[in-house]
Amino acid sequence: MSPTKTHGKHGDFAIEAKGLVKRFKSGKAFIEVLKGVDFDARHGDLTMVMGPSGSGKSTLIAALSGLLRPEEGRVDTLDIDNLWKLSSGRIDRFRLDNCGFIFQGFNLFPALTALQQVEVVLKFQGMPKGDAKRQATETLKEVGLGARLNQRPSALSGGEKQRVAIARCLAKNPQILFADEPTSALDGENGQVVIRLLRRAATEHGAAVICVTHDPRLEEWADRVIKIEDGVIIDDQRRTPNPDATLASH
Amino acid sequence: MSLALSTLLYEWRRYMAAVMALALSGLLVLAMTGVFIGIGKGFTATIERSSADIIIMQPGATSLIGGPSGVPRRFIPLAYRNPQVVEVQPLDGAGGSFQSVKNVDPTMSQADRARQRAPKQQFVQASIIDTTPGAVTIPTDYSQELVDALRQPYTVAIDETAVTKLGVKLGDKALYNGQTVTVVGITRGYPNMMQANIVMSRDTLRMLGQADTGPRVGPLMVKLRDPAQAERVAAQLNVLGDGQWKAWTRQELADANAGAMFEEGILVIIIGGCVVLGTIIGVAITWQTLRGAIMANIKEFASLRALGVGMGSLNRIVMELSFWVGLVGVAAAIGLTWLVQMLAMANAVIIALPPVLLLIVGGGLVVIAMLSGLLSLGILKNSQPADLLR
Ligand SMILES: Nc1ncnc2c1ncn2[C@@H]1O[C@H](COP(=O)(O)OP(=O)(O)OP(=O)(O)O)[C@@H](O)[C@H]1O
Ligand SMILES: [Mg+2]
Repeated sequence: MSPTKTHGKHGDFAIEAKGLVKRFKSGKAFIEVLKGVDFDARHGDLTMVMGPSGSGKSTLIAALSGLLRPEEGRVDTLDIDNLWKLSSGRIDRFRLDNCGFIFQGFNLFPALTALQQVEVVLKFQGMPKGDAKRQATETLKEVGLGARLNQRPSALSGGEKQRVAIARCLAKNPQILFADEPTSALDGENGQVVIRLLRRAATEHGAAVICVTHDPRLEEWADRVIKIEDGVIIDDQRRTPNPDATLASH
Repeated sequence: MSLALSTLLYEWRRYMAAVMALALSGLLVLAMTGVFIGIGKGFTATIERSSADIIIMQPGATSLIGGPSGVPRRFIPLAYRNPQVVEVQPLDGAGGSFQSVKNVDPTMSQADRARQRAPKQQFVQASIIDTTPGAVTIPTDYSQELVDALRQPYTVAIDETAVTKLGVKLGDKALYNGQTVTVVGITRGYPNMMQANIVMSRDTLRMLGQADTGPRVGPLMVKLRDPAQAERVAAQLNVLGDGQWKAWTRQELADANAGAMFEEGILVIIIGGCVVLGTIIGVAITWQTLRGAIMANIKEFASLRALGVGMGSLNRIVMELSFWVGLVGVAAAIGLTWLVQMLAMANAVIIALPPVLLLIVGGGLVVIAMLSGLLSLGILKNSQPADLLR
């Protein structure tokens, strides 16, 4: 039995964005990194965003999640109409309640044990101490770290650290999970563990998982692959995932 | 355990600079103030251990020694008019030169003597006791043996902290204002860093020609039938004196005496200077340390921001962290000051650390740490979660 519950109906929209434009100032000129992107992601899907370096993948995620304000366009997500109309405090709250993030780096506090890393976020959500501990323990077991609960990051391998980071997100039971190159700092074996966890978050918990990567081998696990190039979506395909695929060592 | 506390404990090395800065700031203020209080205590000790229940002095005077505190002699019979009063004795004292006669060759010049490291001539304060049994001028901690010894003419007692300075031991002879006296007692707990104190009987002082014989005498030491009545009787005596004198209970005078010291402008300037200096050093170093520590964890903070933890919560983490740094700093400051106190004690310098002082300085250090935390909050703005998406 899993401690986390399922969200929405598989197939419901979790995010719908329209006409996103993001420009960065570069010297005197502006460069347009997102050129009117329309994007959507559904509950239960592992949506993969792929494209060459500098094509605007990370920028897209930042705009979708309320981290980087786009110059134009709107983001509707869950029951929120136009995320960017909210105050920054409300956007924080939206992320706290609904979003998980996995980055290429693990960003774990050196002083905290695996259990504490997960607990901290739950406590910020307002979960009582006892519940937070129980939930954190369960989630760490779910990602296969039941034996490493009291280890600090310095005693964990890269793959284990990334799993702690994933547990930190999964424990709060997010409806939307953003991952930016979650496997690129890991070897094949650990990368496989991580992508399988993301797959499970989508299938079993009904989260909308949006995973940015430039590794084509991860496509195997995806429900949908969106290709972006130079700030424009050039391809959007549904496919049938193969949860038992293997990721050869780099 | 909270994130802030765990971080402090795990990365304690990173915070050592801040803790040491706070400890040194604390030490600076504690030791300085402590020394002055210690000096004050030397004066106050005489009051606190006096057997007088009430002390009558000139209005406005707060100190037994130094400063005009005496009253006209005719006040003595006046004080006896209160039925509670059983004994009234004026305090007496004088100043003079004191010269150990050990190894003194009178034909030698001062310069030769100095070369031989013979004890130099010192100026001392002489104060008196009456040697009649149970006299009101005998401090409560004087032994019967000491009083008996001082009853002999031309005898004096000195404090143990003055032994080296005056260059005499128990039984040694010395010249007081050119007349030979014998050291027959060593007291304990009457240190005086400025000028050594010697104690003699009123009769010895008279024989040395320094006793008060005129119409004015020193402060009046008053013994009551029932010491518990001191406050009430002091009030009655003040009514009786009608503004010509002020009667203090022993405790009142001791408190006023300690307080009077800090009305000295120079003390306020010295201690104030230490406080300002300590604050600047403490804030500057703690601020920079906290900044560095936050920067070292900026990615972790950013990841919390990404997960929806608000800026306010991060600010609170930093403030809590600075609070703990402050608390550790207080512990270090007290520990360090305690060591210095021990060291000073071995050299006859009293550093008094009353709990109120520790409380105030400790509170101040925590405030300094939190202030530094406040200053370093700005650096948290660098925790841009969008920067983690690359
Ligand atoms: N803060 C910024 N200021 C200026 N330019 C930026 C900033 N952030 C991103 N860019 C530019 O925007 C473009 C897209 O960046 P983005 O990080 O979205 O690329 P990406 O698709 O994630 O690339 P990669 O695969 O290398 O991670 C890049 O050319 C980058 O230089
Ligand atoms: Mg990127």
